Amino acid sequence: MSTFSFTRGLLSVALAAGLSLSGGLASAAETIKIGVAGPMTGGNAAFGAILFRDLLIIPLAGPMTGGNAAFGEQFWRGASQAADDINAAGGIDGKKIELVKGDDACEPKQAVAVANRLIDQDKVAAVIGHFCSSSTIPASEVYADANIVVITPGSTNPKVTERNLPTVFRMCGRDDQQGPLAADFIVKELKAKKIAVIHDKDTYGQGIADAMRTRLKELKADNRVVLYEGLTRGEKDFNALVTKIKASGADAVYFGGLYNEAGPLLRQLREQGVKAAFLSGDGSLDPAIVTAAGGPQFVNGAYMTSVREARNIASSQAVVKKMQAAGFDPAGFTLYAYASLQALADGMKGAKTSDGAKLAAWLKAHTVPTVLGPKSWDAKGDLKDTSFSLFVWSPDGTYREMAQK
Amino acid sequence: MDWHILAQQLVNGLTLGSIYGLIAIGYTMVYGIIGMINFAHGDVYMVSAYLTAICLAVLFSCGIDSLPFALLATLVAAMLITAAYGWTIERIAYRPLRGSNRLAPLISAIGMSLVLQNGVQLSQGARTQGVPSLIPATLRFGDEETFVQITLVQVMIVVVSLASMALLHWLIGRTTLGRQCRATQQDRRMAAILGIDTDRIISTVFVIGAAMAAIAGVLVTLNYGSFDFYIGFVTGIKAFTAAVLGGIGSLPGAMLGGLILGLSEALFSGMVNTDYKDVFAFSLLVLVLIFRPTGLLGKPEVEKV
Amino acid sequence: MSLTPTPLTSAAGPTAVLRQAVLEAAASFVLALLLLGPIVGLVLDGYQIKNELQRPLLIAALVALGRFLFTLALHTPSGRFWLERFSAHRGKTAILVQSDSDRQHHGWLLLLFIAGLALPFLANKYALTVLIQAMIYVLLGLGLNIVVGLAGLLDLGYVAFYAVGAYGLALGAQYLDIGFWTALPLAALLAALFGALLGFPVLRMHGDYLAIVTLGFGEIIRLVLNNWLSLTGGPNGIAAPAPQLFGLEFSRSAREGGLPFHEYFQLAYNPLHRFIFIYLVLFLVVCLMALVVNRLRNMPVGRAWEALREDEIACRALGINHVLVKLSAFMMGAMVGGIAGVFFATYQGFINPASFNFFESALILAIVVLGGLGSTSGVILAALVLTILPEVLRAFADYRVFAFGVLMVLMMIWRPRGLIQPRRRAFDVEGL
Repeated sequence: MSTFSFTRGLLSVALAAGLSLSGGLASAAETIKIGVAGPMTGGNAAFGAILFRDLLIIPLAGPMTGGNAAFGEQFWRGASQAADDINAAGGIDGKKIELVKGDDACEPKQAVAVANRLIDQDKVAAVIGHFCSSSTIPASEVYADANIVVITPGSTNPKVTERNLPTVFRMCGRDDQQGPLAADFIVKELKAKKIAVIHDKDTYGQGIADAMRTRLKELKADNRVVLYEGLTRGEKDFNALVTKIKASGADAVYFGGLYNEAGPLLRQLREQGVKAAFLSGDGSLDPAIVTAAGGPQFVNGAYMTSVREARNIASSQAVVKKMQAAGFDPAGFTLYAYASLQALADGMKGAKTSDGAKLAAWLKAHTVPTVLGPKSWDAKGDLKDTSFSLFVWSPDGTYREMAQK
Repeated sequence: MDWHILAQQLVNGLTLGSIYGLIAIGYTMVYGIIGMINFAHGDVYMVSAYLTAICLAVLFSCGIDSLPFALLATLVAAMLITAAYGWTIERIAYRPLRGSNRLAPLISAIGMSLVLQNGVQLSQGARTQGVPSLIPATLRFGDEETFVQITLVQVMIVVVSLASMALLHWLIGRTTLGRQCRATQQDRRMAAILGIDTDRIISTVFVIGAAMAAIAGVLVTLNYGSFDFYIGFVTGIKAFTAAVLGGIGSLPGAMLGGLILGLSEALFSGMVNTDYKDVFAFSLLVLVLIFRPTGLLGKPEVEKV
Repeated sequence: MSLTPTPLTSAAGPTAVLRQAVLEAAASFVLALLLLGPIVGLVLDGYQIKNELQRPLLIAALVALGRFLFTLALHTPSGRFWLERFSAHRGKTAILVQSDSDRQHHGWLLLLFIAGLALPFLANKYALTVLIQAMIYVLLGLGLNIVVGLAGLLDLGYVAFYAVGAYGLALGAQYLDIGFWTALPLAALLAALFGALLGFPVLRMHGDYLAIVTLGFGEIIRLVLNNWLSLTGGPNGIAAPAPQLFGLEFSRSAREGGLPFHEYFQLAYNPLHRFIFIYLVLFLVVCLMALVVNRLRNMPVGRAWEALREDEIACRALGINHVLVKLSAFMMGAMVGGIAGVFFATYQGFINPASFNFFESALILAIVVLGGLGSTSGVILAALVLTILPEVLRAFADYRVFAFGVLMVLMMIWRPRGLIQPRRRAFDVEGL
């Protein structure tokens, strides 16, 4: 049977292709290094490096390719900066932190594969990740099974911690905390009579929109919802939906989703002359929404809930300045990834081990100083203090935190 | 439903449909001539959206403030470079596969689509990009509260789509190039024997398809202002659906299919439910094909023995 | 072939060759610069541009150098020899007819079988999960091979049946309280039913119209799974149960009333057990399927599939009921897809509609085409290559999917007819 020679031929060609490709890529990578600074998914340094035995490896799992890669980049930038800073300060009891990238493309299937790879292949000590809740949920089962601590800087779906897996933590709030804030604002401050609720049919977006509605029900205002519909992620034409919102006469539009869709949606709303107040969650609170919307005039006046703006907290100023000086604005989840690594490092110092159960117990019993301020966790792994606040966009394309009442 | 809402939805649908139609032309022409589904076509359109933003940014940073000139220059540059993409992709990924089985180019096209998507992501970053709102001019019919509005860009989209379609229709039907195209389409070997350089004709078709995608890319970028490296896939699938709906291989069919798809999406979304608009669009396609197995304007396939 | 530069007359001297090489290199340099200059060299940053022009210059220089060397190499005897070897595969006919003398050696197959059984005990968990994924794709490839490779029906929405199987298990467990072993045949039947449901109206259509309808069907299934929140949990997904071995569970602590496998056998808990078990069951199913498909090919229905693929009109003239034959292929394929879905769900433990997008269909189709359209061993090999390759490419980090795309194109150019030529057993004419 000739299968064997075929296999051999295939192998050799794959090898040759791989070699020539790696040659080509290596030079491409060098050029990237020269260019630096851009919004590149840069920093391949962690790969191909020889792993020393007393090196702690903390991987970073998240979407590095695919439609959500921008968030993966924020994770990577934040965690890399933290790793550099911690290593410069002597590492964890003399051990250097090395980061490993784990790309899940926001796909549950890949998330599980990546989780297993990080555990078995890279022998990681702990994990920072993932981004999409739909990836974090299945992957965290794998980490819990392998007794490894995972901290997600960005998955806000309640289900992530509601399953009571002992080693799962988050560095962000929960959708059932930020949705209600928006609902309170819509009902009590805006006194909206008709509310349109739009979501992006994804775990995060729909989750936050539903949490908003749950609070509306509690406020006996659910009858004000005149429209509840989902748009498709990745599309840019929401004109039909916008016309429908216009026809519904809504005076407040709540959108559960990410800035990629929030931008065009907002623009098309304003272009069609809909003056309704626009509210969204932390997934939309990103400077890139200005670009996505086509100018600051479109996002002006939009409200968004989010965990407190990390870049404005006193404790984060040094890091923010450093990263901005290096040409990267630590927006969105960047500083959350930074803080996650700090928490892990402190935990490992404190617990003197990276054993999942012990590390988790230590983290749940102590308060950790981070770039976001002191953080502590409850028994489920949720942050004890997640004060969400409301932000509003200014005409110049920046946003500010609204004064808390 | 109020008349102005309905009219507005018609405007929305027509705009969306024209864009689908423009992109569908690329699918339908390539399919017509070599019987292959060019899955990378959507990504060529995506590349042209990036080119639009880059050209505009370069022109504005050079201090050119004449908007019509900037737009025209951008259109020409985007068409030129995107056409070069079309030509190169055909040359690299499809031509070596000519004469092999029918599915090999399809897989190669899917590979090419991955290369384009990820190549752009690697070099431009994964963020949603955009261009500022340049042409805010709108026409409004009706009073202060109830009005139908058409933006100038929407008018441009519809007009340019129809004009390009008419131009291509004339090109294929009346010129020497068109005759050569049709000859190649009907019988490539015979055409070659008669002295037509079929490789060149096929290249030309790819170039024309890519140029059409570039026009769509420029117009869409002006209209919606935002794009990312994934739009090629999302829009590409729809445009391909439109091409099949209208009868793949037929130019007016591509336009008709695009318009029907755009209108039905907008109207279904507006009157029934946005969640299920894609389900409706695909169901419509299945239904049409059950009753007209070669699409609306497709020629019935001649079964050769 | 196109990669060959315009042939020079044999009398052309080295200077002419050099001149041509330089010219071609210059042309490819300009083209590469035109293509990559703006996209790679001018990076959008808000509404501004960042200048990275050194990148396209470097890449274009590399391309030009490559082209220069390539052209030169083609004018050396050894270069031409390699080119001929490279293009030698394309001219062959589609199907090899195999005489009895070079039948497959059953000894090798047995050895492979034993190796496959022993593999999970040697692998670590990561390797094992990759293997399980690879096996799931082998199964999917075998199923789609029936539809596309044997019956010649281009199906771009095969993932729909995969989803039906996976959701069959998850929903069955949630609402009807059925376990893995009950779900396996039920989901297979359900998927086959869906196959018939789709197949019946669309089988009138030809080639690519069928392709787009199946694509649409795949999208419809995914969208409905995503939108029907009250039934499927929508984008949040749904949990799927792990398989049991005679009522023993493979989990750290059992659900109510159950008994974990490791406690029963008094072993320390090891998550590997579950994966080894899934792998072994899956491996046996894959082997069984490979055997079934191979047998089917030599049965009347298999011969009818292939005959219909080659010439539908002739088949109908000969009295083959083309609708029934196509439908049987469609249902068989769907059924195998459904079984693969059940395995996927149980291995994953959690499924959501994001796992069943069009790219999945495209990947499975790539497996079948790369495998050689109809060749069972080819499909198995291609499935292994295309699932293990992305994992190997993880070392390329950000360039992973990019490299995967490049390799997909290269593999198609290298072997347009697939890795392994389909073989067909010859009739023993003298024996008749």
